[in-house]
Amino acid sequence: MSTKERRQTDKVNALPIPAVVVVALVTQVPLVVTLILSVLKWIIVRPDMGIRFVGLDNYLAVLKDGEFYMVVLNTAVLSVVSLVGCTILGLALALLLNRKFIGINFVRTLLIAPFFVMDAVVGIIWKTLMLHPSFGINGLIATALHLKPLDFLGSHSLSTIMLLVIWQWTPFFVLILLSGFEGISEEILDSAKVDGAGTWRTIFQIKIPAIASHIEVAVMLGLIFILKVFGIIYVTTSGGPGISSANLPYLVYRTGFFRWDVGRATAMAVITVILTLVAITAFFRFARSKTSEVES
Amino acid sequence: MTGLAVGKMRKRILHYLFITLIWIICLVYFFPIIYMFLTSLKHETDVVPPRLFFTPTLENYRTVLLSSDIVSHIVNSGIITISSMFFCILLGVPAAYTIVFGKLKKPDSLFFWFLSTTLLPPVAVIIPVFLLFKTLHLLDTRLGMIIMYVGANVPIVIWMVRSFLKDIPKELLEAADIDGATRIRSFFKIVLPLARSGIISSALLVFIFVWNEFFFAINLTYVNSSPIPVYMASYMTQEGLFWAKLSAISTVTVLPPLILGWISHKSIVRGLMMGAVKG
Repeated sequence: MSTKERRQTDKVNALPIPAVVVVALVTQVPLVVTLILSVLKWIIVRPDMGIRFVGLDNYLAVLKDGEFYMVVLNTAVLSVVSLVGCTILGLALALLLNRKFIGINFVRTLLIAPFFVMDAVVGIIWKTLMLHPSFGINGLIATALHLKPLDFLGSHSLSTIMLLVIWQWTPFFVLILLSGFEGISEEILDSAKVDGAGTWRTIFQIKIPAIASHIEVAVMLGLIFILKVFGIIYVTTSGGPGISSANLPYLVYRTGFFRWDVGRATAMAVITVILTLVAITAFFRFARSKTSEVES
Repeated sequence: MTGLAVGKMRKRILHYLFITLIWIICLVYFFPIIYMFLTSLKHETDVVPPRLFFTPTLENYRTVLLSSDIVSHIVNSGIITISSMFFCILLGVPAAYTIVFGKLKKPDSLFFWFLSTTLLPPVAVIIPVFLLFKTLHLLDTRLGMIIMYVGANVPIVIWMVRSFLKDIPKELLEAADIDGATRIRSFFKIVLPLARSGIISSALLVFIFVWNEFFFAINLTYVNSSPIPVYMASYMTQEGLFWAKLSAISTVTVLPPLILGWISHKSIVRGLMMGAVKG
């Protein structure tokens, strides 16, 4: 290589450096610091106790804490139920919307809107306008039916969070799955018709398998985002009553920024990272085995 | 009537039944947003009990848009979002270019490193970032927020733009090489125009994500530089009884990402799918 060429190579290879620096600064470096903090006893509001090395004590304390397991369970239930709900509802709506008629673009526009609405607003409008037991639509319906209004944010807090997450994320699934259905070639559908396949058989044996990769992408991205749901919980239930609707991000937030227990919060954060990676890897494996089944 | 005609008739009726069903479902689904908008046009006294007919007023919007407090938070959101978007593109597109057309020994490992950072839950970084920002006086500053958002969203730009770049035949660049153009010059002359739609759709996605982001915003800003979601959350606790005003702020806040989403959802989905399939 001539020097000039080498200089060229260096130049083009140097282009990603700023991106690497910023991404590392915001993700990798703090993650390493989180690991270090998680072996310290450090409560910011108790400067008298100082900062000292305690080994794995924080982890042991977290793992001995019954609340923590409740929250892990909440997170798992929230993610699984929301994802299954989004997938089924998303498939059904995408199938319905996959046809041509006057006004189709308009109704699609209506349906996809919730995905672009910020968490804070989703939480606020549902908590007040929709679900408020006396003044919301909830109260209106209950009065009309002569029933007692449901206490959504009290005794059904986690289910309500799921409802909101499903409302917000199903449009995303519809967008991706619909683009899949639109990509299925007419020939395949025609030949199914010639073979005498009915509507349901066409849907389950041809259309849905044909968009396997779209389903995989939607669920994968959905999983990544739904595992970190925070704003909706913050605005509507604050994790309560008790910890009945708290998930892992919310618990870490509360431990870190209310009790200011840095060691305990970072230990929880590390466990959250591990559980997140396990969940994503498990899903990825599962999806791969399913797709290869479809392809073979 | 012949059997064929009956069958045709049934099919037609079914078709219209489906259309009606779709309209109903979509209107019900969209209802919370319509209702938010309607409430924003009500006098505070008309909000409760819920009703559909009322004398509309723009009073709430006047109050919201004349409140220097609210406007300053919208301005914060705007500055933070647009700067983050700009820097994400500025850093992300060249990185994607090098990954696809550069001369790295292992371009894929760099790509997967970027991708892996998006899997990291924000809670894993928030406490060190908070402590660091406190030491550097970056807490409650727009600069701090922009740094966070650029770091968190550059990988998304790289992911989407890379798949668009992969569609550009290498021969095009090699021909330019022979003509004596440097890879950096061919970037501006050849690659940028061809990858434009990918770059734009990733930029819009970053805009939507950053404008709507809540977790970093609530933990790293307080008063001066907090973007609109943080203000909304605090308004909710302090003055949560003024539903009409709350709805007016919500409507104003939701509008920018909603309009962008409506305009660009097709290209965003194409970008996401291309990025995923070419993983």
